Formats: sequence, structure tokens, C-alpha cells
Amino acid sequence: MSLNIYGQNLDSRLLIGSALYPSPQIMKQAILASGSQVITLSLKRQNPAEQAGQQIWSYLQEVVTEVNGHLLPNTAGCKTAKEAVTLAKMSREIFQTDWLKLEVIGDDYNLQPDPIELLHAAEQLIKDGFKVLPYCTDDLVLCQRLYDLGCEVIMPWASPIGTGKGLMNPYNLETIRLRLPEATLILDAGIGKPSDACLAMEMGYDGVLLNSAVALADNPVLMAKAFGQALQAGEQGYVAGIMQQRQTAHPSTPTLDTPFWHQN
Amino acid sequence: MNIHINGKAYPLSNETHISVSSALTLHFIEPQQSTFAVALNGDFVGKTDYDTTMVKNGDSLDVLQPIQGG
Repeated sequence: MSLNIYGQNLDSRLLIGSALYPSPQIMKQAILASGSQVITLSLKRQNPAEQAGQQIWSYLQEVVTEVNGHLLPNTAGCKTAKEAVTLAKMSREIFQTDWLKLEVIGDDYNLQPDPIELLHAAEQLIKDGFKVLPYCTDDLVLCQRLYDLGCEVIMPWASPIGTGKGLMNPYNLETIRLRLPEATLILDAGIGKPSDACLAMEMGYDGVLLNSAVALADNPVLMAKAFGQALQAGEQGYVAGIMQQRQTAHPSTPTLDTPFWHQN
Repeated sequence: MNIHINGKAYPLSNETHISVSSALTLHFIEPQQSTFAVALNGDFVGKTDYDTTMVKNGDSLDVLQPIQGG
């Protein structure tokens, strides 16, 4: 069972960020331990003469090559469609990929995506040949609109970026899964625990994208491994078919020929 | 004239306009030697257009490089 992103099959259903780790070495070890083959990264203002960005870029390239993976540039920090489109084009030139984690933030307090600007940006980018993976809220209609525009992958949030609050609105997320059965759904942002990721997979989500939950753990490498296993457990549980909940108790042990003390 | 690169002002006393290539060479390094992308006044400028795209007084260049991200 593999994750399909715009026709590309991947062994792991975990997409992982490259930020906030205690060191580049731990970042590399954690990514390797997670089994992820999709690594997110970004662009920022830097003076190339200082070579800082060049060093980070070289290190990330090593990691991606080692895991036979793919880069997923994001548009973090953008607040308008125009900003996101410009940053996307800059990313495509540097990273040589059409994949794009599209972020357009509408509120600084909770970093909530701006649905209006997000749709505008997605429409322009798809016309320009990008394979857009939009980071969005758990609004069903917004997800439908993004899918209708041509986003084969939709990435609703679990909760605001970096909060670790897990799945705030399971009903919304389940409804999106139910109503968009053909879309590749990846839960993005707000994941805190491996059980959060497992729950998303049990709902039938196709994957999970996270960063802080691993990078900010006491032991990021071990946590990365735990998330990889949690996704596998959740996926297998979903595929196996989870039993229906029942309102009343049903004995697990057969009641026929129970011991004599129950027969009066 | 003055131009801004990554928010910092750079005076160019004797010119009315220069190419993106020249601006980068003046204030950074040879474009071939590093990994970066450029936007002029918020619009992307591809590498193939550095020589023909002009920077004028008051213009802003953004020079971006890879960074870790989530």
C-alpha cells in the first residue's frame, strides 16, 4: 500500500518538515528514522555571499538523496495569492519541482489559512503547471472547491500550526473524507502525538504531514520512528475494517454452557 | 539612484538603471556560484532574464535562498 501524490507512488505515508530540530544532524537522523520520502522546506531572504543558505541546501539535498525522496517547497509567510504565486515560481526554479505546499495565511494569531486567497492562488498555480498541495482549514466546501480546481491532494489542518493540539474537529475531517473519496487527503498541522496521526489514518486519510511534533520532542529521532509506526498501524486498521460501535455490552466469551453458578 | 535588496538600501550614484545581473554582482556574488531566486518588486524574475530585466530607482529586489521549513 503506497501513497500516491500526483502519480508518484511513495512507500511512506508520512510527510515531514525540516525545521526546528536541535541540529542538522538530528534533523537528518529523524527524517531517516521516520521513513518519510517527502521533506518540506522553504525560502527566505538571505545574502548568497554569506553561504548560510547554501550550506542548508546542500545538507537537505544529501538527506533527500539518501531517502530517495522528494522536496516539497512551501509558501510559508505568504498572505496574498500574489505573494504565494511569486514564491512558488522562485521555489520551482531553485528546487526543480512542480510540487508545492501552498500556504496563504489569513490571521497571524492562529496562522489560519485565508480560504479566499488560497483559492485564487491555487487557480493561478494550477494554470501555470504546478502540482498544488494546499494547506487549508477543515472546511468541507473549501476542500471541495480546491479539489474541483484540480488539486488532487488536499491538506486540511488538524489544528493550528505548531500547537500540537491534535484533531480539533474529527467530525469535519471525517466528513471531508466521506465527501471527497477520490481526493488524496493529507492531514497537515497541529499533530502532537503519534496517536493523532494514527487516528487520522483510521479515518481513511492518505497521509500526515508534520514537523513540530517530531522536531520538538525530547528525542526527535525516536519520535520520528514512533510516528512512522503509528501511521502504519492506523492505515492497517482502516484497511482491516473497524468494527461498528454498539450501545450495549456484548460478552466476548461464549455464553453457552457457562459455569453452573450463573444458571439460577 | 537607490535600490533595495532584501530590504536594505543600496545607492547607485551614476546610473539610471542597471540589470538584475549587475545589481546582484555589485552587492552579492556571481549569480552562477550560489543557489537563489530573485523577485523584482514582488514579481518573479527567472535566471534567464537577469541580463535583460532592468532595476530602476526605488525598485526592490528580493533574493531568496533555501531554508528549513515545515
